[in-house]
Amino acid sequence: MSNDIESQLRAALRPVAPSEEFSQRLAANVASQHSTAHKSRRSGARLHPLAWWFSATLAASLVLAVGVHQHLQQQRLQQSGLEARREVIEALRVTSQKLNLAYEAVKSQSTSLTDEGNSV
Amino acid sequence: MNDDSDALDEQLSKARRGERTALTLLVQAHQRSVYSLALRMLGTRDLAEDLTQEVFMQMNGNLRTIESNRHLGFWLRQVTSNRAIDQLRRRARVQMTSLDEETQLFSAEEASDPLLQRHLQALLADLSPPARAVLLLRYQEDLDPVEIARTLEMPLNTVKSHLKRSLQIMREKTAAMQPMRCEGSSYE
Repeated sequence: MSNDIESQLRAALRPVAPSEEFSQRLAANVASQHSTAHKSRRSGARLHPLAWWFSATLAASLVLAVGVHQHLQQQRLQQSGLEARREVIEALRVTSQKLNLAYEAVKSQSTSLTDEGNSV
Repeated sequence: MNDDSDALDEQLSKARRGERTALTLLVQAHQRSVYSLALRMLGTRDLAEDLTQEVFMQMNGNLRTIESNRHLGFWLRQVTSNRAIDQLRRRARVQMTSLDEETQLFSAEEASDPLLQRHLQALLADLSPPARAVLLLRYQEDLDPVEIARTLEMPLNTVKSHLKRSLQIMREKTAAMQPMRCEGSSYE
């Protein structure tokens, strides 16, 4: 008999069926899980383009907002730079006028002193 | 056989598209193999039913990656064996079953010697989990050593040595049982 162990094992190890009750429960559970998963996959597939468009629109809006903000900030900087330039030019112009006046005053004073010396 | 396989390939395609009836047919076609493997690996009906359910639930999530009915059979045997080996490694030793359940580990259709069947069951339970899986895939699922090596992701030589060693142990212990049975029968 020991030489026949392989055929004994083959005969003894034939697949056995589970109980009918378990078999029915298994089929029901697996099918139920399967249809739930299938439905969620299908709704996921329907939602996918919507989600994609939503993300794309959101990203585009963000890029636009950042661009506009940067543009406005640059404009503000440019304007304040021009204003400062105008103020500097005005200050230089006023200074130049004052210097001219001072120069004229000094010049006229020195001319009158020379004339007085000549007359003496 | 090929017609059956083609029909099940078609059921697999239908199950992938979400047809419940097709999935039920696939479960029915493979449940004996999965349940028997789980039962003989784990030793009790409750654990075997739990494992069978887990394996088929896992199959649901993997249907897209399964190419054919043949591939499904391979996949189910692989997952069942690996999960059973993992469970057994977590336990020190298989919890022995009640006498009522013992007979269910072996084929009820085979009206062979019940004493020998019980003896074979005890020998099977004494084997290490990987050796038990190798023996079951060989004699229950009728896989050759190359297929067993692929299923268990084990070197071919390891499979061969498990088979050789397990059969040797079984032969020796079954031979040792013979005189006892003869003695027993002499009292009848």
